[in-house]
Amino acid sequence: MLTFISYWRAAAIVLNDLGSSAFYAAGIAEQAIGKSAPWFILGVMLFSFTVRAVYVESCSMFVRGGVYRVVKEALGGTLAKLSVSALMFDYILTGPISGVSAGQYIAGLINDVFATADAHGWIPRAVHTIFNGTPHLDVNWTSVFFALAVTIYFWWENTKGISESSEKALRVMQITTVMVIILLAWSAITLFKQGYQSVPLPIPSNLTFSHESLGFLKHTNLATDLAKKFGLLGILIAFGHSVLAMSGEESLAQVNRELAHPKLKNLKRAAIIIAIYSFVFTGLTALLFVMIIPDSVRVPIYKDNLIAGLAMYLWGPQLLRLVFRAFVVVVGFLILSGAVNTAIIGSNGVLNRVSEDGVLADWFRHPHKRFGTSYRIINMVVFLQLFTIVASRGNVYWLGEAYAFGVIWSFTFNSLAMLVLRFKFKGERGWKVPPNITIAGREIPVGLASVFMVLLSTAIVNLFTKSLATVAGISFAAGFFVIFTVSERVNRRKHALAQQEMKEHFQLLHSDTVERHGLGLKPGNVLVTIRDYNTLTHLKWALERTDDKEQDIVVMSARVSQFGAAAYDLATEQIFTDYEQTLFTRAVSVAESFGKHVSLLVVPARDVWSAIVQTAINLESSAVVAGLSSKMSGQDQAFELGKAWEASDEPKRQFVLQVVHPDMNVDTFRIGPHAPSMKTEDVHLVHRLWLNITREPGLDKLHHHDILTEALTRFAKDCSGEEREEILRQLRNVSADSGSPARTGSDAVEPRVIAPSTPVPENTTATGVPTAPEANPNSNS
Amino acid sequence: MQSIVSLAIRVLEVFFALGLAGSVIVLVLSGIEDLETLIGSEESHPN
Repeated sequence: MLTFISYWRAAAIVLNDLGSSAFYAAGIAEQAIGKSAPWFILGVMLFSFTVRAVYVESCSMFVRGGVYRVVKEALGGTLAKLSVSALMFDYILTGPISGVSAGQYIAGLINDVFATADAHGWIPRAVHTIFNGTPHLDVNWTSVFFALAVTIYFWWENTKGISESSEKALRVMQITTVMVIILLAWSAITLFKQGYQSVPLPIPSNLTFSHESLGFLKHTNLATDLAKKFGLLGILIAFGHSVLAMSGEESLAQVNRELAHPKLKNLKRAAIIIAIYSFVFTGLTALLFVMIIPDSVRVPIYKDNLIAGLAMYLWGPQLLRLVFRAFVVVVGFLILSGAVNTAIIGSNGVLNRVSEDGVLADWFRHPHKRFGTSYRIINMVVFLQLFTIVASRGNVYWLGEAYAFGVIWSFTFNSLAMLVLRFKFKGERGWKVPPNITIAGREIPVGLASVFMVLLSTAIVNLFTKSLATVAGISFAAGFFVIFTVSERVNRRKHALAQQEMKEHFQLLHSDTVERHGLGLKPGNVLVTIRDYNTLTHLKWALERTDDKEQDIVVMSARVSQFGAAAYDLATEQIFTDYEQTLFTRAVSVAESFGKHVSLLVVPARDVWSAIVQTAINLESSAVVAGLSSKMSGQDQAFELGKAWEASDEPKRQFVLQVVHPDMNVDTFRIGPHAPSMKTEDVHLVHRLWLNITREPGLDKLHHHDILTEALTRFAKDCSGEEREEILRQLRNVSADSGSPARTGSDAVEPRVIAPSTPVPENTTATGVPTAPEANPNSNS
Repeated sequence: MQSIVSLAIRVLEVFFALGLAGSVIVLVLSGIEDLETLIGSEESHPN
């Protein structure tokens, strides 16, 4: 029930998260370790190729090879809870750091525009007086305000249940690519025209650790001339301060299940695109940052908006540079805001996943009354993000340091789990991280172990050198770990009781696909979709009008999971949750009150419309009965279903959609190509034409449908010719006169209610998006 | 205490150095595979 995406789109989704770190990682790293930071960022970006390889291997084993699933398989529930706590810290921090960073770019631009305007004397004296000089914003608090606004905006969007669009991600990455190309080309010209500042080599003697960047070590005697005392340790500490440049890899595991066939090959392609892009963008930008911007302003002024600073020090007229800077800020706003959204969606997905496993109380997953989203999880995530934003006071360095904690520990857990699985799970894998050496019949995963060793040593060193991150990260992870552990215990007790009740009431069968034969259903059955157990009027309506001896009645609930959620690799008992149990108990109770039998079906899906269409096609249903949505009209529901029908693969068949209003009025629509209902005057017109033409010699055997065929053929020809505009103008007039939305068609004439048992007409000839409504005397549409 | 800390640091350094050396091999080998994947792109057109 998924809409599969190409590897380009998958790469775009991941790069929206990963690419956003280019806007702040180098600035944070230089503050911590000095001017040689760009080499470490480049090193981290190269190393990220190997981390990506670990994720490709995990995804080749599990459709959703994210940290939680992999660690649980390899190391058990406790470490899985611990690793997911670290991952949650990563996700919670992604939102604030992206929002605050975007705010820094915007506030920085506004201040520079004020300064430029003031230099030209464009600022009125009165404004000068108010600000005691050139007007300017407090960058950090403006960033806080901006980050809060963006987070609250996406909180509401996610509560409403926005659909994650790979199209949008692709567009953002296309715009970003334009910016990157201009930036690199312009920087090359600048280096040629103005020369460059050398970037000190990444050797211990060139490292200058700030007081903050030594963390707990600053209280020991290691702090004095640390680099000379422990040469490689200095490199390791510097590497640890640069790892946040590769944050966002977990998103690769999350988009994996949405990738089109051949999955593994496309995953590898997406991984290559991501690796090359992020190396060029994040790595080269960091290098140019030091090569082009003078030391006197680089860290003091542009540490938190380095690409904007780069734009201002390019070769060329100031106005042009300012325009390019504005473009950088727009791109930064788009990509960083996207990362705020990804953080909310990702955390929601991960918490839904652990909740489905019984690790988080079902209470968290209770759907929103109106929108059906897991709003309690969203609320909790957004609350933590808002708290973090305010607590940070707009300090990007602090946020970056804390962020790195979640990033490095979730990677470390993932690679450790993959290493353990090499010994624990001997079966075939789609792909393995190379090289693997076989000694005495035992395979040694040299490559995987190497990546793990780098990650583990970096994670351990970070514990000592990032004191704030360590305290915040451990407190947060411990808090989440306690919540998970307590929730799991409560759930276990509750589920044991529920399991017993469930066995008494329902016989559960798990199937990877929905098949009519497997469910023992007759063709032409009625599919009733349900979501809210308080609104089952349409089920009653269907039960009233259907003879279950003639037609099977299937009651279906689509488990909608957004990007990041993972309802696809669940066991039966996980799919049939408390909520579905209550929902189906009510449905069965309604059916029993009518003395009728219903079959129950839970379909995990990304898109509810595709799920309904695919289920109706697979079950060969003649009718789909749905309740009226609280968010859209019956016609809109039909339109969405029609679109999903058009997008579904062949073979597909037509069916009737009946949208039942709370007052039992019904809107009926046909989904799929069908013969249009004709007005009486049109029938007369065809007849008159037929009479007229059959008088001609040799045309006495002509049929009415021959007239229609000829007319439609000519119409199709005209539509693709010069008269197209005129035809469209006429049709717009007709559409406006008919008074109903054009997209759902307005050719309905015969007023009748189609009961579920009404057969769908076969061998129809009309084409196009097929949601023509039939007028219904009882309908209020 | 000082010697324990020094030993722990040396162990970490060895871990890191060995890991980096191995990671370079991973990078080269997976890079070659990546090239083959890119060159052999016969299906799945970007859209």
